[in-house]
Formats: sequence, structure tokens, C-alpha cells
Amino acid sequence: MPQIRTAYFGELDYTEGTIFHFPYGLPGFENEHAFVFLQQPHTQPLLFLQSLGDPRLCFILLPILVIEPNYAANLDPDDLAALHLAPGRQPVIGQDILCAAIVRPGGGESGEPTANLMAPVIVNLKEQIGMQVIQSDSSYSYRHPIPIGKEVNLCS
Amino acid sequence: MLVMKRRAGESFVIGDEIEIEVLEVAGSRVKLGIVAPDSVAIVRKEARVTREENITAALPVPPDTLAALARRLLTKHSY
Repeated sequence: MPQIRTAYFGELDYTEGTIFHFPYGLPGFENEHAFVFLQQPHTQPLLFLQSLGDPRLCFILLPILVIEPNYAANLDPDDLAALHLAPGRQPVIGQDILCAAIVRPGGGESGEPTANLMAPVIVNLKEQIGMQVIQSDSSYSYRHPIPIGKEVNLCS
Repeated sequence: MLVMKRRAGESFVIGDEIEIEVLEVAGSRVKLGIVAPDSVAIVRKEARVTREENITAALPVPPDTLAALARRLLTKHSY
């Protein structure tokens, strides 16, 4: 089984079937086209978008509905075509697509974590094609403060 | 900031080599046509901001910070 070097979790096994293709990369990383999604028990509910080509490149994500339960992604016909999604209807988050926000652990003015709701990572779950879709017409923020609870000790 | 009123079909120039024409106005949307040298990068502002945000977001985070962030999220969402 092939192994992937990861930014945060050392070397992990992966299979070809778990690779997601990003034909356009992500803005700023246009040459990175292959990623895997990682989850680890001790970092739930965070998701990690790990580049296959550059072990150092790993985005921290949160499923968007965790942050904003009413989030509605609006994909225009070009976005739908690029993601190989059916034209003429908006895909359903969790069924047709994964929609996740890139997290910055210290993105806020007071160092609080923020999530980029303006430009979510959207993935066609069936075809395993992804891209970052800028929601220009929305009022969502690039640095949406993530509401967080009081830290607890899970061992107690 | 320079403010200028233009109607559809009218244009303005920036320096000697850049011309911007208002092609169409429909509701709150404006369609612009831009003539500029190849050497001038033209991107939507959102694309540039997204790029900058991504580059910062991709900087490595200490593992302790990750675990602490996850724990605090868990308590909030009580999975």
C-alpha cells in the first residue's frame, strides 16, 4: 500500500481511490492537483486536506455546517461544470458535495480561530473532484469567528 | 478614491495602455470590458484575497494548537 508523508500525522497509508483531484489547485497553490482528506480521532471534527505532491502543504478544514448550519453554497453553471455536477440545480451538502471551510487557528484579531466562509472548498463526492469556490455574491466573511466552547480535559 | 460616473457604452482610460469600458449594467451587476497589456495582471479582488488567505492558512501549526482547537470545538458541538 502506498504511503503519504503528511504535515501533521507522519506517514500514513492511502489508496488510489482516496485521492481527490483539484484541476485548478487552490488559489496560491495552483500546481497542487492531488489531495487526500485526513481525519484523526484526537482532532475531530477537524478535517485535513493534505497535498500528495507537497508533504508540507496541509489545510485545516471544518465541515461548513458545523460552523454555519444554514450555510448555502451558490454554484454558478461554470462551477457546476468544473466539478462535474448536474447542471440546473444546486447540489446538496453532505449528499452530492462536501463543503468545508479553511480554518486559521489564529486568524482573528484576538487570536481566535476563524474560518473562510467566503471561499469554501467544495468537492464532488462521487467524482472526487474539488475546487475552492469564491462566493462573491454572498455576505460571508473570509475570517468568520468560530464559536468555541470552554476547553475541557477529555481524560477527566 | 476617484469617483466617476459612466453609462453603458462609455469607457475610461488609465495611463496610456489601459482602457475600461462599461459594457452592460443590469440591476446591481456591471459588466466591464478591459483592454490592457499582457504584463498587467487582472484578477478579481476576491481571488487575490482568497490567495492571500490560503497562503497564510497553509502555514504550519503546532500540533498542540490543533489538538486544543479540536477539543474546544468538541465541547461546543458536543459530538
